[in-house]
Amino acid sequence: MTSYNRATLLAGVVVAVVVGGILSYFASANPDGLEKFQEDLGAAQPVHEGVEAPPLAFREYNLKWLGEGFWANAAGGVIGSLAVMGILLGIGRLVRRRRAATAGQESQAPGS
Amino acid sequence: MHIASGFLSPPVWGTMAAVSGAALAGSMAVAGRRLDERRVPLMGVMGAFVFAAQMVNFPILAGTSGHLGGGFLLGILLGAPLGVIVMGSILVVQALLFQDGGVEALGANIFVMGVLPCLLGGAVRWLWTRERPGLLTHAVTFLGGVLAVLAGATGVTLFLWWSRSLPANVTLAQALGVMDFIHLWIGLVEGFVTVAVVRFILAVRRDAVLGPAPSVKGTLA
Repeated sequence: MTSYNRATLLAGVVVAVVVGGILSYFASANPDGLEKFQEDLGAAQPVHEGVEAPPLAFREYNLKWLGEGFWANAAGGVIGSLAVMGILLGIGRLVRRRRAATAGQESQAPGS
Repeated sequence: MHIASGFLSPPVWGTMAAVSGAALAGSMAVAGRRLDERRVPLMGVMGAFVFAAQMVNFPILAGTSGHLGGGFLLGILLGAPLGVIVMGSILVVQALLFQDGGVEALGANIFVMGVLPCLLGGAVRWLWTRERPGLLTHAVTFLGGVLAVLAGATGVTLFLWWSRSLPANVTLAQALGVMDFIHLWIGLVEGFVTVAVVRFILAVRRDAVLGPAPSVKGTLA
C-alpha cells in the first residue's frame, strides 16, 4: 500500500468518525423534507406491499446492542461509512484485477 | 428523501429498478474500461463522506429537516458514472443495513438521489477542470445543487403520484408545489455545501479529482 492510499484511508476513517460518528448525533430529529410532505398531505401510511430490510444489527442508524443514544448512533455512523468505503475500494480492486487479467492475455496473444 | 417501503406500486418500482439497474451496469462498464486507479481512494473517501453527511439532518422551515443528497457533488468530483456507483453503494447499504428507504424502492431512490444529480454534476464538472474557476463556476455549481435537489424531489413526487400514494383530493400541481417548496430550502444548503466541498477537495487533492495534471506547460516547454 502506497503512502498515498494510506493517507486517503486515514481521511476516510476521520470523516467516518467525525461526521458519521459525532456530528450526526446532533442532527435535527425533525421529519425530513419527504416525510414532512407526506405528513402534511396526510399520506404517511404505506398503501402498497413493501419490503423493508430486517433490523438485524441496526435499528435506524443505532447499533441495536447499544440501545439508543450517542454510542449506538456513533457505531452506526462509523460502521456504515466504512462499509460504503469498503465496498467502493472493493469495486476498485475488482476492476484492477480484471484489467490485469485481460492485459495479461493481450500481451501473450501477439507473441504466440 | 428516501422513499420508504410500501409507497411505490409494483409497476413504478419495477420500472425504476430496471432503469437504475441499467444505469449502474452501464456505469460499471465505463469504470471497467476507463477507471483511473488514482481515483479509487477518492471514491472510497467521498462515499464515506456522503453516507455520513446524509445522517446529519439540519433544520429548515418549521418542524422540518433536510440532509445533503451528495449526488451532485459526486458527479462533479468523479464524473457521472463513478458518482452513480458511489451513490448506488450508499443507498444499498442504507436500505439493507439501516432500513433507510424501502428495499423495493431502491431503484427509484438510486434514480432520484444518484442518477439525476450525478448526471447534472457530471455536466458541470468541466467548469472545475479549468485553471482558475471563477464566479460563474461557483454560481452555476450553487444553482446546479439547488436544481439537482428539486429534480430529485420532483421525481419522488411523480413516483408517488403514479403509485397513487397521494390523497385523491390533491392535484399533482399542488403536490409538486409543496414538495418543491420544501426542497428549495434543502437545495440552497446542497448548493452551498457542494461549492464548499468541491473547493476544499480541489485544494487538497486536485490530482485525485482531475488525474495527474496533464501538465500542458511542462510538455510544451
